[in-house]
Amino acid sequence: MRLTRITKTFGATRAVDDVSLDINAGEVLALVGENGAGKTTLMRVAAGELAFDSGAVSDRGAVGFVHQHFLLVPELTIAENLAVTSSGFRFATHRTLVREATEIIASTGIALHDASRRVADLSVGEKSKLELIKAIAKKPSTLILDEPTSVLTPHESEELFTVMRTLAANGTAIVFISHKLPEVLAVAQRIVVMRAGRIVLDTREATAERLARAMTQSPLPVRGERARVRGALAHERGDLKLHENEILAIVGVAGNGQSQLARALRDALPEAAHIPEDRTRDGIVADLSIAENLALRGVPPEAMTLYSVRAQSARQRAGDLSGGNQQKVILARELDRHPRIIVAAEPTRGLDLDATAFVHEKLRAAANGGAAILLITSDLDEAFALADTMQVIYRDELSERMTPEEAASRVANLMAGVA
Amino acid sequence: MKRALVPIGAALTAILLLALSGAAFGHSPRELLGLLITGSVGSSFALQGTLLKSVPLLLTGLSVVLAFRAGVWNIGGEGQFIVGALAALVASRYGAIASIAAAMLAGAAWSSLATLMRLWRNAPEVLTTILLNFTAIHLLGWCVNGPLRERAAMYPQSDLAGASLPRFGGIALAVIACVAAWFLLYRTREGLRLRATGSNANAAEWAGINVRAQLARAMAISGAMAGLAGGIELLGVTHRLFERFAAGYGYSGIAVALLAQLHPLATLASAFFFGALVTGAGELQRTANISAAVATFGQAAVILTLIGFEHVRRRA
Repeated sequence: MRLTRITKTFGATRAVDDVSLDINAGEVLALVGENGAGKTTLMRVAAGELAFDSGAVSDRGAVGFVHQHFLLVPELTIAENLAVTSSGFRFATHRTLVREATEIIASTGIALHDASRRVADLSVGEKSKLELIKAIAKKPSTLILDEPTSVLTPHESEELFTVMRTLAANGTAIVFISHKLPEVLAVAQRIVVMRAGRIVLDTREATAERLARAMTQSPLPVRGERARVRGALAHERGDLKLHENEILAIVGVAGNGQSQLARALRDALPEAAHIPEDRTRDGIVADLSIAENLALRGVPPEAMTLYSVRAQSARQRAGDLSGGNQQKVILARELDRHPRIIVAAEPTRGLDLDATAFVHEKLRAAANGGAAILLITSDLDEAFALADTMQVIYRDELSERMTPEEAASRVANLMAGVA
Repeated sequence: MKRALVPIGAALTAILLLALSGAAFGHSPRELLGLLITGSVGSSFALQGTLLKSVPLLLTGLSVVLAFRAGVWNIGGEGQFIVGALAALVASRYGAIASIAAAMLAGAAWSSLATLMRLWRNAPEVLTTILLNFTAIHLLGWCVNGPLRERAAMYPQSDLAGASLPRFGGIALAVIACVAAWFLLYRTREGLRLRATGSNANAAEWAGINVRAQLARAMAISGAMAGLAGGIELLGVTHRLFERFAAGYGYSGIAVALLAQLHPLATLASAFFFGALVTGAGELQRTANISAAVATFGQAAVILTLIGFEHVRRRA
């Protein structure tokens, strides 16, 4: 398959920016990069699931796509789940379905016993095997696997790699999306690194260090004016210490325990300000007005102008605002009370430059005003722009505390778990 | 005001459909329409009947509005209505005020059983409240055949309640409840929390709201409204309990609330409309010999046209 100069935008963000890529038969290609680098978007374009803005896809052939989330019917058995994907009318008994399913499973070389079991009763690893079987059963010329190992045990991952190698040896092109560098190095013949919608590295000989560097491209610390002196300890929890007058940034590849950390802090510190990572799901109440959203924390509607929310009036439905303005409403709601502790998770995700600068300015002002700020972010530029102290989160564990200067040289390896 | 166009249009269309369907059975649509109108609002007698029917509909409608606004699927208005009336009867010897208070408490307690089942076993309210309806219906049946059966023991019904409301006292209570519901939802912090929970429970939780407490509270308030409806119906209209006492008021409350677009004040108009439909259907039965069950048909037609209109509006 050949992708030529593909560009795909979502609103103001360029998820995929002028990318060309050849996917060769008989090769295991690993596509790596941070979350939001554009890996999944590019592959969905390749599979024909997403329309693209410009560019061309040629020689697509049959594409199998194993998604990160399961597309299975839990109430049905393994056999029924395999049967529902085939089209056309025919009579079928449970027994014939199970027999056919057993044959299909055997032909893929993946071990999954007893096709009459209900999917709801399967382990996560078995479910992902079933997804893989579903995809392979259609004999695709290209097979795309999106983070397939994130839910597998090491042993199951090994099994998967064996299947991948066998398929590739038989001429299937395999694309393996991952951000786990050791696996990628073990299984892939070719590694392509994406960052911010572009391919930054395409290599057949890579080392973990080189990949980590390409993935994150550790930016030089951008030191703003930092006249803050660390204040008293405001909250302590395991390896996490929040001090007044300090911005502590937790960085890491998404999915390493950031969400759990934010949630635990929300439950432990109900009086603190919380800016949730998923604005539409957890932040804004779309059906309520701006004023009502503010009033949830007892903030008067006048705060809207202070936080330069652009809207016709405070009575406008919050759900009709742009993402940036919704975030400003949340910021106003949480920060206007001058909380002692602020937990901000991905506060600028999906925002344009102006809105991002605004959010950063407000966080800095709050820290200068004495607040203890925890910034959880997967955007390293943001972390270096704001943080007084940094910690890396990897597999639910926090690294030691580092100054931004120390972090600049160590963060990439810590994030990839190769340190 | 624009928001009101859809439900009003849906209600009028449904009535027209109802009249037109009469043509299939050899009745003139125009005549049917005339009977529906004179039978419901055409005379002061008809109007009184409509108002009396509207009171329980208004309260069960408010019960549904309050629950649905908070995202609690209370389908148990029927059961809460019955239990409210039972409590009102038992407490009626202590006077009308005690009786009404008992009705509201009983309704709240009955609906809160669903909350308890949610907390205990994560049982969905849609299921538990509807099952509690059947429990309440049978509880009522047992009571009027057993412990609460009239002393004369002639019919399966209770004695007269020991207190009563003036015939139209219920209207005043219902309208007060309606304004109170509006005030709660749109003029208090508590109501804001209820609505926030109903439209996005995740965000509500992140904004520091105790979502489970909100759901429990909404369920209790909703049950109290339905219980109040049962108490008023007993003390102001029927004065006795009998097996078919609830007559579907609890379920009709859902239609009332949906036509009112879950707005408490609009529920006034919506309840009056459905009340008129019931009395108008009674007139059809008396004059044109058409079963009064046509009112149920009308209710269904209103909701279906409402859904259709909403669909068209969203696409436009």
